[in-house]
Parts: sequence; C-alpha cells; structure tokens
Amino acid sequence: MNYTFELAYKNTFKQANLTALIVLTISLGIAACVITYALIYLMSADPLPTKSARVLHVQLDNWDPNKAAIEPNLPPEQVTWQDATNIVAAKQAKYQAASAITWGMVTPTDKNAAPFLGVMRATHGEFFPMFNVPFLYGQGWQNAEPNEAKYVTVLTKEVNERVFSGENSIGKTLPMLGKIFTVVGVLDDWHPSPKFYDMVYGAFSKPEDLYIPFQIKAELELPHGGITNCWETNLGDSYQGFLNSECTNFELWVEVDELTHFSDYEFYLNSYVQQQKQLGRFARPINNILLDINQWLSYKRVVSKDIYVFFSLALLFLFVCLFNAASLISTKFTASTHEVALRRALGANQQNIFLQSMIEAMILGVLGGVFGLIFSLFGLQGISYLYPNFSTFLTLDLTLISFAFGLSILSSLISALGPIWFLNRTPIAKHLT
Amino acid sequence: MNLKVFITRLSIPPIFRTLARQKYPTLMLISQISIALAVIANGLFIAVDRFQTISTLSGIDESNSFFLTSSGFTDNFNIQNTIHSDLAKIRALPDVVNAVKTNSFPYSDSGDEFALSTNQDSLSPIPAASYKLDEHGIEALGLELVAGENFSTNEVIWQSPHTSKFAPHVLLTTRTAQALFNTDDWQSTLGEPIYIDNNQLVIVKGIIKTLHAPWPGWKHLEHSFITPSVVTHNSSRYLIRVKPGTLDDMMSEIESTLALGNKQRLIRKMKSISDAKKEVYGADLAALTILLVVIVSLSFIVGLGITGATSLKILKQTKQIGIRRALGANKYDIFRYFLLENLIITSIGIFTGIVFAIALNVFLVEQHAFQKLPLSYLIIAALVMYLLNIIATIKPILKAVRVSPITATQGN
Repeated sequence: MNYTFELAYKNTFKQANLTALIVLTISLGIAACVITYALIYLMSADPLPTKSARVLHVQLDNWDPNKAAIEPNLPPEQVTWQDATNIVAAKQAKYQAASAITWGMVTPTDKNAAPFLGVMRATHGEFFPMFNVPFLYGQGWQNAEPNEAKYVTVLTKEVNERVFSGENSIGKTLPMLGKIFTVVGVLDDWHPSPKFYDMVYGAFSKPEDLYIPFQIKAELELPHGGITNCWETNLGDSYQGFLNSECTNFELWVEVDELTHFSDYEFYLNSYVQQQKQLGRFARPINNILLDINQWLSYKRVVSKDIYVFFSLALLFLFVCLFNAASLISTKFTASTHEVALRRALGANQQNIFLQSMIEAMILGVLGGVFGLIFSLFGLQGISYLYPNFSTFLTLDLTLISFAFGLSILSSLISALGPIWFLNRTPIAKHLT
Repeated sequence: MNLKVFITRLSIPPIFRTLARQKYPTLMLISQISIALAVIANGLFIAVDRFQTISTLSGIDESNSFFLTSSGFTDNFNIQNTIHSDLAKIRALPDVVNAVKTNSFPYSDSGDEFALSTNQDSLSPIPAASYKLDEHGIEALGLELVAGENFSTNEVIWQSPHTSKFAPHVLLTTRTAQALFNTDDWQSTLGEPIYIDNNQLVIVKGIIKTLHAPWPGWKHLEHSFITPSVVTHNSSRYLIRVKPGTLDDMMSEIESTLALGNKQRLIRKMKSISDAKKEVYGADLAALTILLVVIVSLSFIVGLGITGATSLKILKQTKQIGIRRALGANKYDIFRYFLLENLIITSIGIFTGIVFAIALNVFLVEQHAFQKLPLSYLIIAALVMYLLNIIATIKPILKAVRVSPITATQGN
C-alpha cells in the first residue's frame, strides 16, 4: 500500500508540465463553481439562525378595490402608519416593531465633530431584542404608548466614533432634527446580509446611522425615506393627511413565542382586518401574508436570477475543464503504459495498478482543490469589485472550502475514470517488446 | 479531376476509420466543443442584452452633467433664497451651460410616479415619472423640444414638499404623448387636456424627444413629464450641465463656491451622471463582465485542449505521415487531411453543441424567465468554434506537414 502510494506520488511529479496543466484545468473549473456557489450560499444564508422561523413579516391588503398593489393579486409589501401603530399597540406577539427610513441633520455640540446628514430608522424599541441587535453600551428603549414621544436615540458604533470619539456616550445629549436627544444605546458592529428587515434600498445596503423612536417621525414630521406607495388620489397637503392615508411606507415585523403561535397570529391579523373593514377600510377581500424571515427572503428573490445563471454556466465550465483534464490524464497515463506493463509482468496485479492510478487522480484532485481555492479568493475579490455591496459578506468558510475539495477530488476521479479503464485493459505483452 | 477522384483525395473514409480507432480522445474533444458552444451562445446572448441595457441613452447630456445636494441645517436657513442665489451663482460661471433645481433625474433611482389619462375616469391610465424643473430645465438637462414651447419664468410655482398640486401646464416625452393620444403628430397634442391621477387637469404645452424615468429597468422607462415647479425641501438637488471637457474642474469649483458661500448648509452627494449611471447599472455591468470572462477563459481552455489533442495525435502518427509522404502524398494532402479531420470533429461538436445550447436556453427560459435564444447566436457561436479550432490546430498541422518522407524508413 505504501509502495503504491509512493509510486503514485512520484508519478505525479514525473511529468511536471503535464501535471501542472491538469491541475490548472481542474482548478479553473473548481474556482468557477466555488465562486458562483459561494454567492448563492452566502446570499441565502439565514440572517437570524436562532429564531428565523418565529420572526414574521406582516403584509395586509389595504389597496385600491379596483386594482391590486402588485399584480396579479398581491398585497403591498409594507403597511400604513395607522396599521403599524395599531398592530404594535395591540401587543399580540412577543415582540413587535414597525420601522421606516428617514433622515435629518445631526449637529453635535462638540465643535470638532462636523454636522452631518444622518440616515435614521424610526422604530419601536422591540426592534432591538427581536432582531438580536448587539449593543456595545446601553440598550434600546421600551415600546412607547402610541402618542408618547421620547427624545432618545441609539447610535451605531460608527456614529458614536464620529460624534463621541468612541467613548461610552450613554446619557449624553446629541442635538439633531432641531431637538435635543439623549443617547440610550450604542450598537456594536451590525450588518445583517441580506438586510432582511428592510430591503427597499437593496438587499445588501448599509444599515442606517441612528435609531429614533417611531413616534418621533410624526412628532417632527420627518421625511418619508424608502419607497412610499399610495393609491388614493387626494391626500391633502398636511403631514397628518399622509399618516391617516392608505399610503404604505412602513416595515412591520413581529416575533411569536413559539412556532405554534404562528396560526394564532394569523387569526389575530384576520380579526384586525375584519374590525378595520367595519370602519370602512380594507375594501379588498382579506389577503394577509405572514412570512418568516427565510420565506420573506425567497419571496423577495434575494438571490437574483443572474447568480443562478452564473452557477449553471460555471457547472458547464467545469464539465469542459473535466473533459479537457480527461484528455490530459489520458496522455499522462499513456506515457506510463510501458512502466505499467513492466510492473504487471513482474507480478503486480490489476488491483495494484488501479489503486495507484486512483491515488494519482486523488492527488491531482487535492492539488486542484488547493489552487481552485486560491483562484476563488482572487475571483471573489473581483466579485466584490463588481458588486461593492457584497464585499461585507464574501468569505470562504469551512463549508465552501470542503465544497471545493470535495468537488475537486470528485472531478479528478471522474476525469481519470476513462484513462484508468484504458490503462487496465492494456495488453502486457505488446509493451514489453 | 472528376468528382470521384476528388472525394477519394479528400480521404474522408480513412478519417472516419482513424476517428473510430481513437474513440476516447475524439469523444473528449467533441464534448468540450459542444458544451463550450452551448455556454458561448447563451452567454453571448445575455451579455449583448446587458450591453444594450447599459448603452441606452436617457435623453439628458450624460457626459457633461453632474449633481449635488445642498442640505441646510440651521434654524434660520432660508431654502428659497438659497436656491435662488445658488443657481444664479452657478449659471453665471462661464463654463456652465445651465443648472436647475430638480426633484429627480435619470439614474437617480428615486422619484415620483403618477398616472396620466385623457379622461377623468380612465381605468388604464399611463404611468409616468414626474420631473419638477423651472424654465432652465430643458437646457440644463440638454433635452430636445420637438413641439410646442418651454415654460415661461412666471409659470414656475414654488411648493412645499407635502403638496400634491400641479401647475397648469406640462411637457410630455414623445413616448408619453404617443401612449396617451395614440398619435405621432406632436403638434396635434399641444393644448390638449390630460388628468394626473384622475383628478388634476393640466394642459400639454410641449413635447420633449426623450427623457427617461429615474428608475432604470422600469417597465415604462420612456414615460415621463415635466411640471414647472420648484419644491422647497431642506435638501435640494441641483443638476448642472457644463461645457464639454470641463466636468472635473467645474465639479470641484462649484462645490467649493457653494460650500464657502453659505455656511448654514452642507454640500453632499456630488457625483457625475456617468458615475451614477455606472452605479445603477452595476449589476448589469457585473453580469456583462462575468460573462465575458467566462466566454474568453472557456475559449482559451477549449483552444488549449484542441491544440494538445491534435499535437498528441500528430506525434503518435509521425511514422504514418512519413509513410504516406513516401508513398506519394504531397504536403498539401497532409495538410488537407488533418484540417479535414479537425473540421469533421468540430462539426460534430457544433452539431451536438447546438442541441445543448437550445436545451440550456430552454432551461434558462423555464427556470429564470430569460428570453428565447435567437438563431443568429447559434450561428455566431458555431463560427467562433470553427475559428477557434483553426487557430488552435494550425501550428500542430503545420508541424505534421513538415514531417519528412524519410521518417518512414526510420525505426520506432
């Protein structure tokens, strides 16, 4: 066995040029597959693995009685201010939080920190525990009563760095939006990819700079970020008119205690819509959609069809490389036919020869995997350059590395299969003359 | 030479006999060629489609324009005065063609959509993007007015961001007018009333040749209209068009002029239109690049494979070639023999490749809603494979041609 392995090992390096060519061919095919598979695998990774099945995205159909929000008959993807505040206030789940993007000027008192336009997420306090948002200092706030607005804020690590030079800023004040806010929390690094809780600016966009209580948006009449969809024609000119309208601009998420409460929550939403129907809203038939995080990600097709196409093409690319490698391996084995015939004549059986060839193919596969991974690293660099948003999550983890080696060894064995078969059928006598 | 002799000299039957003897290498070559053809045909088709998307022109002067945002942050910041004085300052610069305050522009990816119709109760209104510009808008964007006239200064209204009222006149793009009035006679559409969101009546004052909506990839990309209004929002976007060749200089000059002139606001998000375009078409540009890399490297690998296989084959047959030469075959016969052999292999590969390409396309159409592959891409891919094959085999074949008849007499 040791002897067989030694021979296989020696053979690998005997025709170094040919070996290099085989390894190059296999590794290019492997790299193409690893890069494209990495995209699919990383983009569809569960962003909240501990409880993604219990965290639910709420959609209600408050749309135009004559026209669906999204053809053919889908409800809007976001909810109205009224529904957001009502459903959060009803507290029918463990956690519930609505949120929306807005922005405004942040004007630190410290003269060394320049004023800047902060992108903010107006949300309920339960946003933080629901999404397991990590805190560096302090914590979020409690969900307030619908009409109560507290001037508190949670900063990202980046903003805390910028305004308070990274020190513990809990309890300090920060003037912004023309008011004085108190810092109650500072986040640690947090960049869920995909940014499942709000993907209107793209599934891999950056989280907002600051967090403020939901009610502040109404209190200070802050601008509507993200996408606003309306179907009514006359909203009036006031900000309150927008809040009372059927315009959707708010993401609504809830977390249920246990999976079994999913249907309870569905039942609650139905009764909520029934009750609103009595008030003259929701003219369309009930069409609520309640999706957990992973269902929501596939509903939004986070992995674009381009990526799947790249993967299909990469697989075909690998096939071409394999056929190519098969030819090369065949050449390599042909060159050693004489030696094989000699070994057979001296008593080695077919199994020995077969084993030796298989080990040779395995070595090629391992080398293909190593170089394939090196090429993949370069390839992923290229991908982050082409898709700047992906750079935050593109890495080769253990799964991808095992995928690369597994695929590479499998590939080299497959492409060596034909040549090995031919080698074993070699009549001994012919080569001994 | 009669036909029979010609065909004999083409030595087709011996070629097939040789190929049948070398089943394995031939099969490997044919498989490579056919899969490569399938990938190249489909990849090229998608790449060309993306290239067309990226090279669509929006109607504005894309290469000489840029934009920036001015955001006020103090309590006594006066929006209307700031916009007035900023624009006056910018327009006075010698290298500036014109500048305008705008809510949106092509490639900005944000803007407002409204439904237009010719009667108030229309059930199938025409969706269109709105651009809120003053009378400088046409020149600042570099638009072409094909009928009617521009707004006059006193038609422009200043509005708060929460209002949904429209000024009495609008300019439409040709495609919008076509969709609304079903005519190509732009003059006839002037003065016609239309409804915005079924409830506000406005009059068509002019027709713009092309002005795309701000959302690339939108189904109604060519539908937009201009309304003479300036929205006074704390953050104002200016779109500035400069004389050719001065873009970089003017961007830094205007940025510092504005920043120094008024300390109650920030100048942010300054970017040229071409950069904004590259960003919004990022995914298409990426797909195009990736597909081209795939096509080129695949061609390279297949080419190497063909060269390698042919070299090996010729090396193995050196003695036979020598014998044939000794028996009277001239260099041209040898050349023709190997060329023909390769053409036969390539043709079989292309034939099966076309079947593969169609199968792959059917898969893409069914699974990912792609378009059907036009025949022309199969022909192009087939030509690419023939060309690749000739390039890859020319060197080994020339080597075969140089095999001397003496080889026949030499030992193994």
